[in-house]
Amino acid sequence: MFILSFLRIIKFSFQDIGRNIWLSIVTVTILVLALFSVNMLLTVDVITKAAVNSIKEKIDINLYLKPDASEDEIAALKADISNISQVKEIQYISRSEALESFRLKHKNNPEVLDALRELGKNPLTPILVIKSNDIDKYDELIVELNKIDNDIVESRNFEDHKEILAKINNVSDKINKAGVVVSLIFIIISVLVVFNAIRVAIYTHRKEIGIMKLVGASNAFVKAPFLISGVIYAIAGTLIVIAIFYPFLTILQPYLETFFVNYDINIVSYYNVNFIKIFGLQFLGAALINVFASFTALSRYSRV
Amino acid sequence: MIKFINVSKIYPPDVKALDGVSLHIKPGEFISIVGQSGTGKTTLIKALIGEEKVTSGKVVVGGWDITNIGQSEVPFLRRQIGVIFQDFKLLPKKTLFENIAFALQVCGHTPKKIRNIVPQVIKIVGLESKSDRYPQEISGGEAQRAAIARALAHGPKILLADEPTGNLDSINAEEIIELLLKINKWGTTVVLVTHNREIVNKLKKRVVTIEDGRIVSDRAVGKYIL
Repeated sequence: MFILSFLRIIKFSFQDIGRNIWLSIVTVTILVLALFSVNMLLTVDVITKAAVNSIKEKIDINLYLKPDASEDEIAALKADISNISQVKEIQYISRSEALESFRLKHKNNPEVLDALRELGKNPLTPILVIKSNDIDKYDELIVELNKIDNDIVESRNFEDHKEILAKINNVSDKINKAGVVVSLIFIIISVLVVFNAIRVAIYTHRKEIGIMKLVGASNAFVKAPFLISGVIYAIAGTLIVIAIFYPFLTILQPYLETFFVNYDINIVSYYNVNFIKIFGLQFLGAALINVFASFTALSRYSRV
Repeated sequence: MIKFINVSKIYPPDVKALDGVSLHIKPGEFISIVGQSGTGKTTLIKALIGEEKVTSGKVVVGGWDITNIGQSEVPFLRRQIGVIFQDFKLLPKKTLFENIAFALQVCGHTPKKIRNIVPQVIKIVGLESKSDRYPQEISGGEAQRAAIARALAHGPKILLADEPTGNLDSINAEEIIELLLKINKWGTTVVLVTHNREIVNKLKKRVVTIEDGRIVSDRAVGKYIL
């Protein structure tokens, strides 16, 4: 009896959707637009974070050493620094490599090259280039590096990095905050629009609801098809968004690669990795809104 | 079968729709309830199907005191009473067959039983050739016959007809009354609420007249006296 009633409710839900096809299409379209907007916001957020992190990734700390430091002393210092927990990578640039890099960098500036030639010797010092394993732990790393008491260290001025990091963190925080505010506003608008669409759908059915009750349909039997329809709309909306959004991401990806040269931003693979989380949550959200809207509208329009 | 014992219904703030109505309808009776608009006839029907609760008094249907019936019990009451209305109240997105079947589906009847009962009631009302039509594809008289078929699907002991001929021409109206008489002959109690003087006078059955929420006349073989 229960299974028979449940199957009938499912059948009535599909019948109702099919026989009110335009209303169903409008409801699903609004749901798709809302979900598409949510995905757009998510994409912008992912790209922004990836871009900011890529910039942060480029920041390193240079430890300038004395020109007469021996290779053994430098190797020992390098080993010591490698042991610091916040260090991800440490690269040694010898004086000759530094000179070569300097020449390459200024190859189009004859005045600088002439000045270097007039000096007659390599004025550059060896450098240890240090990268942090966590961009947010740069401050801790700098504290650790300041603790190093070694005579071969000539200069350890890290203030520039602090300033750049502070600026990037500031920009990143502002983008995140703006993203959260915009997302919230958009989600609230989407919820209201979807909620209203479902309410209108049920309002148009109020006469039918009255008839169902007159012939002896129980409250559950009257309400359940609408609640199931809400879940079906959520499934349809999520599937359509997946079908539309993936091609959109595929089109977007080459532009991202061109815009963020040398940065590792792959929005398609981000969606692939987080597929269940992203679309599962969107389905759950949409289903909950639909069911809640149906329930509210039914309590209002099904009193007979 | 149906008992109204000193029933009053007051709509806020102080509109008296029914005022001390006492009425006893016996099993198998055919009774016409007449009266002008706004005299309380429809309130009486609404009280019988659990759509309105009376302010005071007692309403009993088939031995079941429904005066303070709970919301969850209303569907069970409605499955025992067939109701037809002036505006037919058919589901527009369902065929006639589906409309009638729906009344059985909501009670959890098996598809086999539904396939058995629906053609029978369709045959009783003479709509065999139109069972796959939608309500908007048939005439008013046919729609009312479909509504009667739906009301009969449960095999009710009582059939309430609230202005069933209000939207019909005289020929269709007469056909519907003939159908109600036929159903009454099989043992179903029929309560007819109507404005139609000609029909009431022709029936030569019990007539109860209501005026300002009170019964002013109750005659075993009555006439429309207003």
